[in-house]
Amino acid sequence: MEKIDKIVFGDNQFFGINHMSQEKAQQLSEKFFQTENIYKVYDIAFKNGIEAVMLNSNDRAKEICEHFRSNKSKYSHLAWYPSIPYPHKYANMVNEKGIFPAINDVLFSNNSALGVLGMVAKGGMAVLGKDAIELMKMLVDIEVKIYKGLDIKVIFLQNIIVDLMLGYDIKEVFYEYCTYIRKKYNALPGLITQNMPYLKSKLEEWGIEEVVICSSINKIGYLMSPDIQSYLDAIKNNDPNKYQLMAMSTLASGAIRATDAYDFINSLNLQSVVFGASSEKNIKETVSLIKLGEQNL
Amino acid sequence: MHKIKLGIIGMGRMGITHFSIINSHPEVEIIAVADTSKMTLDLLKKYVSGIQVYKDYKELIENAKPDAIIVCTPPNLHYEVCKLAYEKSIHVFAEKPFTADVQQAEDLMKLFESKGLVNQVGYVNRFNDVFVTVKKYVESGLIGVIIRFKSEMFSCTVSKKEETESWRSFRENGGGAVYEIAAHAIDLVDFIIGPPDDIVGTSMNQIYSKHVEDIVSSTFIYKNGCSGTLYVNWCDTSYRKPSNKLELFGSKGKILADQHGIKIFMNEDDLSETKYKKGWNTVYITDIFTPVPFYVRGNEFTRQLYHFANTILGQEKGNICTFKDGFYAQNIMHQLFIDAQKNAIIE
Repeated sequence: MEKIDKIVFGDNQFFGINHMSQEKAQQLSEKFFQTENIYKVYDIAFKNGIEAVMLNSNDRAKEICEHFRSNKSKYSHLAWYPSIPYPHKYANMVNEKGIFPAINDVLFSNNSALGVLGMVAKGGMAVLGKDAIELMKMLVDIEVKIYKGLDIKVIFLQNIIVDLMLGYDIKEVFYEYCTYIRKKYNALPGLITQNMPYLKSKLEEWGIEEVVICSSINKIGYLMSPDIQSYLDAIKNNDPNKYQLMAMSTLASGAIRATDAYDFINSLNLQSVVFGASSEKNIKETVSLIKLGEQNL
Repeated sequence: MHKIKLGIIGMGRMGITHFSIINSHPEVEIIAVADTSKMTLDLLKKYVSGIQVYKDYKELIENAKPDAIIVCTPPNLHYEVCKLAYEKSIHVFAEKPFTADVQQAEDLMKLFESKGLVNQVGYVNRFNDVFVTVKKYVESGLIGVIIRFKSEMFSCTVSKKEETESWRSFRENGGGAVYEIAAHAIDLVDFIIGPPDDIVGTSMNQIYSKHVEDIVSSTFIYKNGCSGTLYVNWCDTSYRKPSNKLELFGSKGKILADQHGIKIFMNEDDLSETKYKKGWNTVYITDIFTPVPFYVRGNEFTRQLYHFANTILGQEKGNICTFKDGFYAQNIMHQLFIDAQKNAIIE
């Protein structure tokens, strides 16, 4: 399995997401309303040695991808880690119309470029409704389209989808997603989860390997179900040739001091950390603190 | 006892979520689902092994014989589904709002209490770590006697004119900002302060919706002199996701709470176990969270369904969010509509 970057630069700070404080989230969202300010932070991150970016397919990602595409020569070394989909986009549509009409809208109204004719020939929703896998592939294509032309290393599925599907205990969905990402995009399949030990055990049971698993990992056990000890056991026993583990929420939304947080992270058998920050000081500090052990991949 | 045999009636957004969560409970087996969408049923039948699917909930109850059901139909159908479940002695978890009619809510409460069946309504904030902590503080008298409060909720659920109509477009079905969103802000008042003695000054506005309200505000009056305001708006696009805000002013201090944490202002140092200092104190969600066995969309969603299952198993008391609580919230919403009508903001 291709080795993933040890440090990946996340995007929550840009889009008004802060689990600790609504106020802080609002301030940041004001600051980054100007996309130029987002590019400035990216440039600071790259200057400090970061070469990988995780970016959620929200409504501003398109513009950001366009920027990096049109300046490809300047950013040729960057590896992209898209995370799909943007859940809130679907949540409101589903609320208003119901699930299938919402999917129908996404597939047929907003994406003429995707080849609606081809889909009509296949019988449209009536047929797709019977084949969740085909439906999933089409939704993946729509979400990944905006990253076209960028160097994609991992395509992550958001935790809201991963954990929802995990609850249904359906092997096929996970197997087909991972296979599709490898074949069609020549990228590593990634799964974000708040139930890492359980997800990992199911993947092992299903024989699905060479997957990147991203989950909250922090010393206070925040957003780590079922509990921190299960995480420690799963991490300790992990073979990174089968599953590369990426930590997110390492500071638990700021509840843990950076030095303490990364002392803990560095002591674990992890392959990567994704973090977000918006000041040069925090970016510099975090990059200097992350010292993941050399794994034999 | 054998595993709880569970049926889910209504596989919309909440039914789909509840399925995933409760399927992780080791003592629960989901045996059947009912929904009117053939597409949904076809998919479930194809991918979930051993599941029975029904177009009609009555057939599910008759044929699959569940021990318990989760009801996620449009709210106006809750009554007939719950009534049949009662007749067959089936435990029920019903989504919020409990019904779309206060009399039906009262009837169901009485029926389920009379038979001793487990009954729960999906007011999920009662399982949220922040609001559970606020309730504990209020009951312990941390900020003294509550004199004023504000309960607010904002979301960007409706941000443009409706293109198509669904059950959510009509109040009779349980649609509208009061039933769908304000219900949570109202239940929080009920949970932490208790039901009001009078409701005055209610006004409702439409912004995008054709038939139902998008905004509601009102004042709750209590005989002991306490009063509080309610303000709920589901067209507020400045909010990325639904947010509750609660502000309590008491004789000894003040509490501000939202899903992220709690800010507490103390008039004097607290000498009890909290040790909060005079002035501002902050409690973050990371200070008070308790992990759950399986996470799908917030600890509280898992905790509420595990509470339901564990109550059936005799491991929990089942007293956190009963049909009685559902009825209280329903009664307040009923009063809001009457008061708003009187004030003639919405015809």
